[in-house]
Amino acid sequence: MKLASVRPVALLLSRELAITALLLLGVSLVVFVVLYLSPGDPFSLLLEGQMVTAVAREGMRQALGVPRAWYTQYLLWLGNMLQGNFGTSIRTGLPVLNEIVRVGINTLYLTIGSMLVTLLVAVPIALSSARRGTTLLNWPFTMFAYVVSALPVFWLGYIVIYIFMHTFGLFPILFRFSRDQELGWLYFLLPIFVLGIGNGTISEVVRFLREEMGRVLAEDYIRTARAKGASIWAHSFKEGFLIPITEIIASKIPFILGGAVVVEQVFNWPGMGRMAWQAAQDRDYPVIMGIAIAAAILVRFGTLLQRVVYIMVNPRSS
Amino acid sequence: MRRYSQVSRHVPEYSELPFWKKAAPMELAYVAYGLLVLALVVASYILGAANLLPRDPQEMDLQLLMAPPGTAGHLLGTDFVGRDILSRLIVGIQAYFLPGLLAIAIALTLGTFFGVLAGYRGGRIDTAITYAANLIDSFPRLVLILLIVAAFKPDIYYIMAVVGLTNVPVLLSLIKGKIQFLKEKDFIEAAIAIGLKSRAIILKHILWYNCRTVLIIQATLGMAEAILIETSLSYLGFGVQEPTPSWGNMVQAGANYFMQGKFWPSTAPALAILITIMGFHLLGDGLNNILEGKRSS
Amino acid sequence: MKKLSSVLLIIWLFGFVMVLPQAKAKPKNDGNPDGGTLNYGEYGRPATMDPITSNDMISLRISELVFNGLVGIDEKQEIVPELAERAEISDDGLKYTFYLRKDVIWHPKEGEEPRQFTADDVIFTYNVMMHPKTITSLKVRFEFIESVTKIDDYTVEFRLKRPILNALAKFSFKIIPKHGLENGEFLKREDPFVHKPVATGPYMLRNITGDHEVILVANEDYFQGRPHINKFIAKPFADQNIMSQALMFNAIDMIVLVNPRDIPQIQGDKRFVLQPYNALSYSFFGYNIRNPLLADKRVRKAITYAVNRQEMLDSFFQGQGTIISGPFAPGSWAYNLDVEPLPYDPQKAIELLNEAGFVEGDDGIMEKDGEKLSLTLKVPIEKESEAVKRVVLAFKNYLGKIGVEIQGEFKEWLSWKEDVFLNHDFDVIFASWVFDDSADITSLFHSSEIGPWMNNFGAYTNQDIDGLIVESKLTLDHEKRRTIYRKLHSLLAEESPYTFLWTLTNYAAYHKRLRHVAIHPYKFFSFADEWYIPEQDQQ
Repeated sequence: MKLASVRPVALLLSRELAITALLLLGVSLVVFVVLYLSPGDPFSLLLEGQMVTAVAREGMRQALGVPRAWYTQYLLWLGNMLQGNFGTSIRTGLPVLNEIVRVGINTLYLTIGSMLVTLLVAVPIALSSARRGTTLLNWPFTMFAYVVSALPVFWLGYIVIYIFMHTFGLFPILFRFSRDQELGWLYFLLPIFVLGIGNGTISEVVRFLREEMGRVLAEDYIRTARAKGASIWAHSFKEGFLIPITEIIASKIPFILGGAVVVEQVFNWPGMGRMAWQAAQDRDYPVIMGIAIAAAILVRFGTLLQRVVYIMVNPRSS
Repeated sequence: MRRYSQVSRHVPEYSELPFWKKAAPMELAYVAYGLLVLALVVASYILGAANLLPRDPQEMDLQLLMAPPGTAGHLLGTDFVGRDILSRLIVGIQAYFLPGLLAIAIALTLGTFFGVLAGYRGGRIDTAITYAANLIDSFPRLVLILLIVAAFKPDIYYIMAVVGLTNVPVLLSLIKGKIQFLKEKDFIEAAIAIGLKSRAIILKHILWYNCRTVLIIQATLGMAEAILIETSLSYLGFGVQEPTPSWGNMVQAGANYFMQGKFWPSTAPALAILITIMGFHLLGDGLNNILEGKRSS
Repeated sequence: MKKLSSVLLIIWLFGFVMVLPQAKAKPKNDGNPDGGTLNYGEYGRPATMDPITSNDMISLRISELVFNGLVGIDEKQEIVPELAERAEISDDGLKYTFYLRKDVIWHPKEGEEPRQFTADDVIFTYNVMMHPKTITSLKVRFEFIESVTKIDDYTVEFRLKRPILNALAKFSFKIIPKHGLENGEFLKREDPFVHKPVATGPYMLRNITGDHEVILVANEDYFQGRPHINKFIAKPFADQNIMSQALMFNAIDMIVLVNPRDIPQIQGDKRFVLQPYNALSYSFFGYNIRNPLLADKRVRKAITYAVNRQEMLDSFFQGQGTIISGPFAPGSWAYNLDVEPLPYDPQKAIELLNEAGFVEGDDGIMEKDGEKLSLTLKVPIEKESEAVKRVVLAFKNYLGKIGVEIQGEFKEWLSWKEDVFLNHDFDVIFASWVFDDSADITSLFHSSEIGPWMNNFGAYTNQDIDGLIVESKLTLDHEKRRTIYRKLHSLLAEESPYTFLWTLTNYAAYHKRLRHVAIHPYKFFSFADEWYIPEQDQQ
C-alpha cells in the first residue's frame, strides 16, 4: 500500500463511519415506524390461547415494561442500544444481541461464501468475454450464467437437495455428522452453492465486469502496455477488475441477504434471514430492529470496502 | 431504346445505415428473442380475454388432482386442486406484467427525477438525496418487503411499489453519474453557453440522448427482478394469492411434491420463468449493445 | 406450533373421572430394554421451554416430557395419580386435598445436591402462575381456584370458589420448583428457567444446540421408573417437505404430525408405522351473523348443503377423517351421533335460497332486493397451507355453482386476527378450533361472549342456546350434562352458525424399531417413558 494513500484512507474511514451512524439511525427509525403502523402487536402472540382483552394487554404492557407512546418506545430502544443493550426477544426472552451475533455468523458465512461462488463463476466468463469477445467457447458459459440467474432460488435449492440425497443416498444433517456420513461435510457447501448461483446476480456481475474490463482494455495505456510486451492483465487489474468487482459486490449485498432468507428456510440453516422472517410475523420488535441494524451494517461495510479500495487505487481522487 | 442500368448503386456510408443493419447478428437475435417474449405476454392477454385458453384456469376437478402431463384434456397435467396447468401457465404472466410496469415506472420516474436533481443542482440537495438513497439501499430488499407485506397486505401492487422504490437508488446514481460525466466533459456548460434552456437540456440532451440506454436496460432488468422477487415471496407464502395464478405461486405449490419425485408441477412454471427472464435480460443486453454501437465481438 | 394451518384456540379442560385411585410407584421392570436415542422432527421451533409461558404446541410437547402435574391421564383417558399419591374431595366439592409423593426429586443442577419435591413447590407454582406480572395464557383456566394452603410438607389443600364438574382433571397443570426461578415471585421470559427448565419428569433438558435442536436425556431417578429411551432430540424444520424427506432418509425417527400429502408415500414404506391419533379439533366455515345476508339461517344452511364435504375429504385428505354435524369432535363424549351431517344437495341449497327470497340475477349471482349474495372469505396465510388453500378454493367453487359469490382474501396471521376478532370485518372465515379434551363451547356460542377479542366472533345469538349452555354449566351430573350437550349439538346443527366440516385424523409417523408407542391425543408424549427400542436397533 502506497504511503500516499494512508491519509486519504483515514479521512475516508472517519467520514464513512459518521455517515454510517446516521444511516443506522435512519434505518432503525424507518423500521420502527413501519412496525408501529402495522396491524397487530406482539401481545396477541403472547396471549395466544386466551382472550386478548384490553385489560390483559395492558397488564402485559406493564409486565414487559413497554411505554405507551411510540416515540418514547423508540427513544427508549435507542438509548438502550447505544449502551449496547438490544433488549430481549419478546418471543423467546433471550437477549437479542447474543442471538443476532450467533445467527449473524451463520448468515455471514452464507453471504461471503456465496459471493465467492458467484465470483468464481462470473469472473472467468467476464474476463474472457472482455478480452476476446463472444467466442464459441465462452458463449455457452455466458448463456449458462444467464439461465441460472433466471431460476427461482428455492426451486434450485430443492433440485440440489434432491440430487444430493439421491446420489449419495443419505440425508444431510446440518452441523452434526452422526452415523457414518463421510460425505456429510459436503452439506456445508450446498447452501452456499445454491445461493451463490441462484441469487440472480451472476448475469449482472458478468455484464458489468465485462463492460468495465472491456472499456479498460480499450484504453490507451493498455495499448501501450501491450506494445511494450507487458502483461495487460497486471495493468488492467486495478481499474478494470478490482474496482468494478468491489463495486458490484457492494451493491449486491442487499440482494444476497434477501436470497439468504429463502435459502435458510430450505436448508434449515439457522441464520439471520430465518430469524427476521419469524420476527416479522411475530412483531418481535427488538429482534427486528436488531436485525435491521445488523443487515445495514453489513451493507455499509461492503460500501466501505469498495470506497477504501477505490481510494487505495486512486489516492488522488478522494 | 436501350436502357442502361447504373454502373454502381449508391453504397451508403456506415453511419447512414439504420441501426438494425449496423448491429451484429447476435445482438439482433437477442433482441428478437426478447421481443418474442414480449409478444407472448401480449398473446397471453389476448388469449385470456378472448376465451381462447385450452381450459378455464379456475376450473377445478377434484377427481383429477395432480394429474401427470399428457392426461386427457390436460396437456401439462393438473395442479393440487385439479386445475389445468397449461391454461394457468399462459395466464400466469399477467400477474407480473402490470405490477412489473408499476415497479419500473416508479423506479424510472423517481430515479430520474432525483438523479437529475442531485446531479444538476448538486450541493446540499445532492447530499440529502444521496443520504436518502443510501438509506434505502441499506435495507436488504426482501426483508423490507417482508416487513411491509407481512404487516399490511400481500397485494402484488403494494409489493411492486416497494420494489420500484428500492430500485430508485440504483437508477438515481446511474443518472447522477452520467450527469457528472457530462459535466466533466463540459458538455453541459457548452449547452448552457449555446443558450439552451434547462428543461431542454435535461430532457432532450441528458436523458434522451445519453441516458436512454441505461434507462431501457434498467427497465428490462426491473421486470426480470419483479418476477424473481414474487417467486421468493410466494415460497414464503406472501406472493400473489390464490386463486390468481402466478408462476411464483405455481412453482411453490408444485414444489411440495418435488421431493416425492413429481417434478412436473413446479418445473413447468419454473421453466416459464426462466424463458421469460432470459428474454428480458437478453433484450436488455442486445439493445444496450446495439444502441451503444458496440459489438460483442 | 401455533400455525398448523388452523387457528388454535385452547379451551377449557374437562376430565372424565371423579375420584383418584391409590398411587403406586411403578418400577420399569416391564422387561423392556433401556437405551437408544429418538430423534423427532417438528415443524417450527419452540419459543420457551417452561410450561407456564409457553403457548405453542411444540413447547407443550416438550413440557410433557419434562414436567409432571399433580395428576395425569392414562391411555384410557382416566385420571391417575402423578405427583400426588391420592386426593380427597370434600362433600361440598369445594376442598381438594392432595397427598404428595415423598419420593420425588427435582432434576439435579450441576454440582448441586438434588432437592426434594414438596408442597412448597406446588404452592409456588400456583402463585407464580396467577401472578399478574407473569405472562401466561393459563390464568383464565384456573380462576376457579380461590386459594391454596400448605397443610404440611407433603399435603396441599385447594379451595374452590364454586364446585366444578371434573375439577380433578384440571390439576394436571405442571409443577415448577421453588428454587428454579431467578425471581422469586413471577416468571419473566428473560428468566433463565425458561430455557433451562428444572422439573421432575422422565426427561431432563440437557441443552439446546446451535441449530436449535433440543436435547433431552433420561432422568435416572424418575419416580415412575427410569424411562427406557436414553435421549430424545427435537429437531426443528422450517420446511415440511424437507422434514418428510428427513424421515425417509433416517435423519429423524419420528414426525409428530404428518402432512396429509405425505401420507401415501409413508404408508407405502414398510420401514415406518403410521399411527393415527385423535386430536379433538375440527375445521369449519364461520359466519358473521352481523351481516344481514347471513342472519337468515336458511342462507347458512343452503351453504352447508352446497358444499360437498365428502368429496373434499376424499380428494384432499384421502378420506382420513370424519365429517361432523355439530360443534364437537366425533371422539368427544358430547358428540350426538344421532344427528347426521347434511348431505351434499345443491338443488336443495338453491331451493332454500329461493325460499329466503333470493333470485338468480343476470350474472348468475343470487340477489335479493337488489343486493347480491357476495361474501368476503378471510383466511390467514401461512407458508405451508396447501390443505387450507384446497378447501378454500373448493368452497368458492361449490358456492359459485349455486350463485353465491365468494371473494377470498388471504391475510397475514396477526392482521387476520385483528380483522376477525377485533374489527369483525369479514363475512366468512375458514378456521379450526382445537380443544384440550372435551368441549366447553360456551365461549363460542353464548351471547355474552360477543365483543372485541372474544370467541363468539360471529355475534351469534340465540336464547335457547344461551339457556342450554347456562344449564350445562350449572349441573354437576355428568350424564345430565351429556344430555344437554347432545341437545345443543342438534340445535346448533339446525341453526348452522358454522358450516361444520370435519375432524381430520392426525397421523404420527415413526420408524418401526420404536416400540410400545402410545400417543396422547393432545399432549402427545404423555406415555413416552414407556416407549422403547430393542437392543439390536439401538444406535
